[in-house]
Amino acid sequence: MANNFSPDSEPTARTLLRRVLDTADSCTPQRRRSDRISAQRTLLETPSSRRRSIQTKVTARQRSHGARSTGRLAHGQAGGQLEEQTPRTLLKNILLTAPESSIVMPQSVVKPAPAPQVVQPSRRKSSQSSLELQLPELEPPPTLAPVLLGSGRRKQKLRLSVFQKEVEWGPQGLPVSQEPPGNPDASSLTSSLNLTFATPLQPHSVRKPGLARRPPTRRAIDVGALLQDLQNNSLASTPLDIVLEDTQPFSQPLVGHSPNVHYSLPHPYPGPEDAEGTVHHRTQGSIPELQNHKLQPEPADPLEMTEAEGSKRAMEAKNPEESSGDEDISDRPASSELASNVPEFLQAKQLDQFLEPAPSSGATVLSSEPQEPVLARTHPRPRTAVPRPRQDPHKGGLNHYTKLFSFYAKMPMERKALEMVEKCLDKYLQHLCNDLEVFAAHAGRKTVKPEDLELLMRRQGLVTDQVSLHVLVERHLPLEYRQLIIPCAFSGNSVFPAQ
Amino acid sequence: MALSATVSQKKHVKRKAPRGFLRRLFKRQKPHLRLETRGDVLVHLNCLLFIHRLAEEARINACESKCGIIKKDHVVAAAKVILKKSRA
Repeated sequence: MANNFSPDSEPTARTLLRRVLDTADSCTPQRRRSDRISAQRTLLETPSSRRRSIQTKVTARQRSHGARSTGRLAHGQAGGQLEEQTPRTLLKNILLTAPESSIVMPQSVVKPAPAPQVVQPSRRKSSQSSLELQLPELEPPPTLAPVLLGSGRRKQKLRLSVFQKEVEWGPQGLPVSQEPPGNPDASSLTSSLNLTFATPLQPHSVRKPGLARRPPTRRAIDVGALLQDLQNNSLASTPLDIVLEDTQPFSQPLVGHSPNVHYSLPHPYPGPEDAEGTVHHRTQGSIPELQNHKLQPEPADPLEMTEAEGSKRAMEAKNPEESSGDEDISDRPASSELASNVPEFLQAKQLDQFLEPAPSSGATVLSSEPQEPVLARTHPRPRTAVPRPRQDPHKGGLNHYTKLFSFYAKMPMERKALEMVEKCLDKYLQHLCNDLEVFAAHAGRKTVKPEDLELLMRRQGLVTDQVSLHVLVERHLPLEYRQLIIPCAFSGNSVFPAQ
Repeated sequence: MALSATVSQKKHVKRKAPRGFLRRLFKRQKPHLRLETRGDVLVHLNCLLFIHRLAEEARINACESKCGIIKKDHVVAAAKVILKKSRA
């Protein structure tokens, strides 16, 4: 009798309440003083002791023919549960009527509350059949418990269903009607049993989504477009995201900052191989695109694709705004100056070529922007390329903060307001750089150090005597940056970062 | 080794700081100065806090004018106040 219940049942409020209700008696005035005290003691020890032990104690107590339990039960019965609307009875009713959410619960559901209100003499019969009959009011018969214990959850469900049927119909097919008339709990219990009968299937299925990890939705097309734009960007300047891009010595930016901020991010992705195939088809068709020359010589490396995909996906998750900003360049107009530079860097990275097919294929597959990317691919854009490179990564970076602004504001915003935010941020960054220069010069240095930053924040009133810089770092920065900034002791008598 | 040199795929950082963007910005503005390795993270923190204050102020302005959305003039008014505060 050590373990009446399956070990994997988790303590929930319901189960704890049940324990409490099981172990403690209803506070009926007719009860003997000693019984009440003992009940209170059991009540007290219930929350502190473990569930299983409680259960064993309870079941042992209940199953035994000890005078205490019988006396308590007798008195409990004498009290009657409906005469007084105590919190106990209310709780019991709640427990009985409320649908169970856990599989294991049904046992205790059966077991429940009615302990105090049990029909005394029938209970004391203690025969399995009678116990089953009395189930609505009684604790779960110990015979069933081991059965339930031994089997897995599914089996428990099945047996419980059989058990419940027995409860309802009685071992000889009699409907359960043996409880005293004033025992609505029984009917409620059966109804709750019915309820729980239905629920055991649910909790298992309901639990599944929580436990089962759904594979992350893959938005490969996004990645492709992002890569393409990134590559375009990388032609312009150093890559924004270090995780995604290796150092690419592209000096000239790609033109093609079309206002594609509205590129919808979730795009279907045909898959790297398909992308390459389609790209090759398309690239062969579009000759004037000098950039497409890259595509022809070398097929994309699938390995690079996969690892880049992962990193891109991660990056994409991190910087959707930057990707959208980068996607703006997916048109890739091929100006002559760009073309001249392109061949130099063509052999530089396989990744670029790989990037090109993926995003371009994604772009073409996209239904949202069918025309523009195709046009961009096939038609050289004679736009001025020079201002682009400055603007795009700059805008991309500012977009990052703009999105944070809309997140912090928690209210819908106008587009003009967002542009205004960008301008403000631009101005603020200029002021910031000036201040840092002044501070560094004041300290006689040519390098701006974190102390200068701290001084700046102190002057701005962000860092006060009450709020230190470390507190702000903890609040607003992710763990990786916090590790960079706040010195922490590591093993081997080392502190990182070094003071 | 105290910290890992690379970020594995599983451990992708949420809300990454655009460190490259910030470094490039600083370089463009003050080419004669250098920015330390941890400085740009703190600059990012500074920007975050600035944006935070700006958003709060803009939201307050919008709510005061009983608007459901934040309009440009709300942002402008908020920017004036916050830029002034950041200057001091």
